[in-house]
Amino acid sequence: MTLLDTRGTGNRAGGPPHRPPGGPAGWLRDLALGARFAVTGGREGWFRTALSAVGVGIGVAVLLLAASAPTLLNAWHGREKARENLGQLHEPRASDRTLRYAQADTSFHGDAVRGRLVRPDGAHPPVPPGLRRLPGPGEMVVSPALRDLLAEPGSGPLRDRLDYKVVGTIGDSGLLGPQELTFVAGMDDRSAGESYRIDRFGKTFDPQPPSARLVLLIVLACVVLLMPVMVFVGTAVRFGSDRREARLAALRLVGADIPTTRRIAAGEAVVGAGLGLAVGLLIFLVGRQAAGAVTLWDVNVFPADVLPAPALAALIAVLVPAVAVGVTLFAQRSVTAEPLGVVREAPVRRRRIVWRLVLPLTGLALLSSLVWEPDPVWFRAVRLGVGSALLLLGITALLPWLVEAVVRRLHGGPVPWQLAVRRLQLSGAAANRAVSGITVAVAGAIALHMVFTTFQAGFAEAYAKSAARPVIELSGSAADAQRTRDALATLRRTPGVTWAHGTIDALAGRAGDRGTRGADGHLSADSATVVVGDCAELRHRAPIGSCRDGDVFVTEPRNGTGRAPGSVRPGARLNLNPPDGYGEAGPARPWTVPDSARRVTAVRHPGEDLPGDVLATPGALSPALLRAPEMKLRVGYDKAQETAAVERIRTAAFHANPGMRELSAIDNPHDRQYAGVRTAVYVGAVVVLLLIGAGLIVSTVEQLRERRRLLSVLNAYGTRRSTMGWSILWQTAIPVVLGLALAVTAGVGLGTVLLTTTETGVRVDWPVVASVTGLGAGVILLVTALSLPPLWRMMRPDGLRTE
Amino acid sequence: MTPEGSILSGEGLHKHYGRTPALDGADFSIHPGEVVAVLGPSGSGKSTLLHCLAGIVRPDSGSVRYDGRELTTLPDAERSALRRRDFGFVFQFGQLVPELTCLENVALPLRLNGAKRKAAEATAREWLARLEVDDVHGKRPGEISGGQGQRVAVARALAGHPRVLFADEPTGALDSLNGERVMTLLADAARDTHAAVVLVTHESRVAAYSDREVTVRDGRVKEPLAGL
Repeated sequence: MTLLDTRGTGNRAGGPPHRPPGGPAGWLRDLALGARFAVTGGREGWFRTALSAVGVGIGVAVLLLAASAPTLLNAWHGREKARENLGQLHEPRASDRTLRYAQADTSFHGDAVRGRLVRPDGAHPPVPPGLRRLPGPGEMVVSPALRDLLAEPGSGPLRDRLDYKVVGTIGDSGLLGPQELTFVAGMDDRSAGESYRIDRFGKTFDPQPPSARLVLLIVLACVVLLMPVMVFVGTAVRFGSDRREARLAALRLVGADIPTTRRIAAGEAVVGAGLGLAVGLLIFLVGRQAAGAVTLWDVNVFPADVLPAPALAALIAVLVPAVAVGVTLFAQRSVTAEPLGVVREAPVRRRRIVWRLVLPLTGLALLSSLVWEPDPVWFRAVRLGVGSALLLLGITALLPWLVEAVVRRLHGGPVPWQLAVRRLQLSGAAANRAVSGITVAVAGAIALHMVFTTFQAGFAEAYAKSAARPVIELSGSAADAQRTRDALATLRRTPGVTWAHGTIDALAGRAGDRGTRGADGHLSADSATVVVGDCAELRHRAPIGSCRDGDVFVTEPRNGTGRAPGSVRPGARLNLNPPDGYGEAGPARPWTVPDSARRVTAVRHPGEDLPGDVLATPGALSPALLRAPEMKLRVGYDKAQETAAVERIRTAAFHANPGMRELSAIDNPHDRQYAGVRTAVYVGAVVVLLLIGAGLIVSTVEQLRERRRLLSVLNAYGTRRSTMGWSILWQTAIPVVLGLALAVTAGVGLGTVLLTTTETGVRVDWPVVASVTGLGAGVILLVTALSLPPLWRMMRPDGLRTE
Repeated sequence: MTPEGSILSGEGLHKHYGRTPALDGADFSIHPGEVVAVLGPSGSGKSTLLHCLAGIVRPDSGSVRYDGRELTTLPDAERSALRRRDFGFVFQFGQLVPELTCLENVALPLRLNGAKRKAAEATAREWLARLEVDDVHGKRPGEISGGQGQRVAVARALAGHPRVLFADEPTGALDSLNGERVMTLLADAARDTHAAVVLVTHESRVAAYSDREVTVRDGRVKEPLAGL
């Protein structure tokens, strides 16, 4: 039967009985009628529909954002892959279509600047994405963000360092994101040693799979972010359910049967959900314009990259309305619309805790099992996601029981308290639903913050320890000893530098050792470190005593050098071109350690390199004979002027060799990464809390509207406004406080388990716990404050009028 | 002018809702312990008269005097306090707080007036017994019948020993048997406590419980002619 089915009644003209369409056609008509109710209920009806649409819309926007993550990361990685070439297995011969390529990365006040140097071999070299042509010597093209940074007044040291002429801007296709600092410059002789020849751009190998930690964080963030949104969508589609039920009862009076009323209710929900889809799409499209301004975990992308995967987007478009309709019908499972009103069939039953513990305990068990089972990353991720979701879902199952158990025991107290407690005892479901969102958001935020804070603090401690000594280590290719001497001289002249030492290091193998090839095809051999430097520099590696150019020393290890004693002896025959890499071994370059080499005792100082096996002066061993000789410089600076001195050292090093790499603990990149993510989590938690606060306000005001007459009667009795105001405060505060208590317990518990799985010391971020719970308290006050004006409006005597 | 000996009086009361006049120069007075029935057809303004007399609604013009005090000029807080202390109310329906038990509902005005919970509930229990509904004291309004609910409402209205009881169609939602019982108990209890009762009704059967009847028509109060 469908609405207004007149089966068997015949028509007034006495003709055959008129039968309205049944089956799908009738169903569609019922759905359409419900849809009409959603938009024809006057201002109030529109408000309800709009509220549902906003709720669903926010959920859809978050889901679309989550669905964009794979595309976004693919686009990000894709651009990195397309613009890079880390070296080809078989280096091409110089031709019209090749170029020499080198890395020239640097950093400025903690910001990484990606630099690449190019020198074409001919007239038609490949050009990386985002560039029209390769810059010539002394020229560079820069990213828009670097161009802006260079133009800033405080960027003088960086302008000194990158003293190329800017001849263009790199296009979007050559950038990872709009905020990336990068440049491509023409190569000069300083970098020739660092460079390699390529004939194309585009990496040939895939990036490493993400670390377990990263997977953990992504999975947990998705769970934490999406669950409160789902809870809110559930709350949003229930707005105005009382009026909907009253309308359905009226429809029953005119002949609609129960399935028909359900279809009509579904039709009404579909409109809210459909509008929600549109609102969500709009929020998503507007919101993604801000993508360029956000850097999360060093990932910064263009708005166009934030594009949901088509399959996931289609799934959202189908599932969200289905879920909205499902929730509407689920909310009506215990309600039957009868012609004279709505009958609630579910008996008031005390909630049982047993099955409510199943979810969180299962989640806890899944998470705990991660501690001792070293599984593949993907399996851990699945268990992690399911475990976290079950634990957080379990909270929402536990909360109603907790509220009921606590509220049941409350009695007495002043009138406002009594009114609130009794109200919660009788029908706390709406408040529970809304508060469960707060609980999940706060628990998730606390757990994530615990994880991030612990990781961040761990890195900070390690960096602080490493950076205690004001030293920067630099390394770069060294074709000859003079370049190393020049680099050291430049650094020693740099203001703020207190000392600088350096040698040229390389590896040497045993003569005749052809090496062994590993399973990955990599060829390697046992090797010893050969260090070449002037006597003064060698003295910083080992106590060599008297020395002059032409001397050679071999070291005898002592405390913890990690090497068997006497592995290189005077007279030993070495190969200065040891097999190493994926290609074939190069021709052997034999060299014999002179018999006259003196044995010296090596002492490894904490935080310094191994002293080396063979220490040779340039007169005894030319660096030109070494394979991939590398200058290793250690530069001390005045801690009192660290910021300026460090930037000057970087500039000096860049000028000595743009390809010089820095190894220091001065800039802690993890600090910024974790701080950014923590801020994002915090902002997310605040947004979710505000969202749920909005839901609470609406449901409170709805409750007040339903009780308009009672409020007028209470007003007639002379009830003070403050009495009712306090009653609303308690009515909101009791479930929220209980929810927050549960959230803190669950959040700290989840954080502890997660940190234990990653074998990290547990550290509770109490300020965040305090601030998030403080925010919860703020939501209580906000809901109360915003509910007071409608309360006072409804406490007017108008509600007593019946005519 | 206040009629001699009256506890509550209204004079020249005007009240409009939008452009619709509800009261158009209504006069009314009641003496302590007196039960006055306010009769009139639907929409005549009798409920508005009750609301103005009780200080729930401020009339557009005219005077309401209670115990020598002008109500229309009192601030809202003082009028509310007066309603808590000196007045009691019974309405047709929807007056009991659904979350509270019947006992708590009856104790509510006492507690709003500052009484301790135990003392308020003890008094409430006495009044429930007096109105013959002490057996429902632990139940919520949704669990009792309409007649029982109305008796609980009467108990609540009288528990604070009001000097004036305002009853707006107190039996309007009840069947005749329950209506009779409620009115008997209400009138007896009011007389025992010497409370004046302003009884708004459109039923002459209910009005029969009063000492005096007035009729409201087109916003004006008409006293019946003597001897009729």
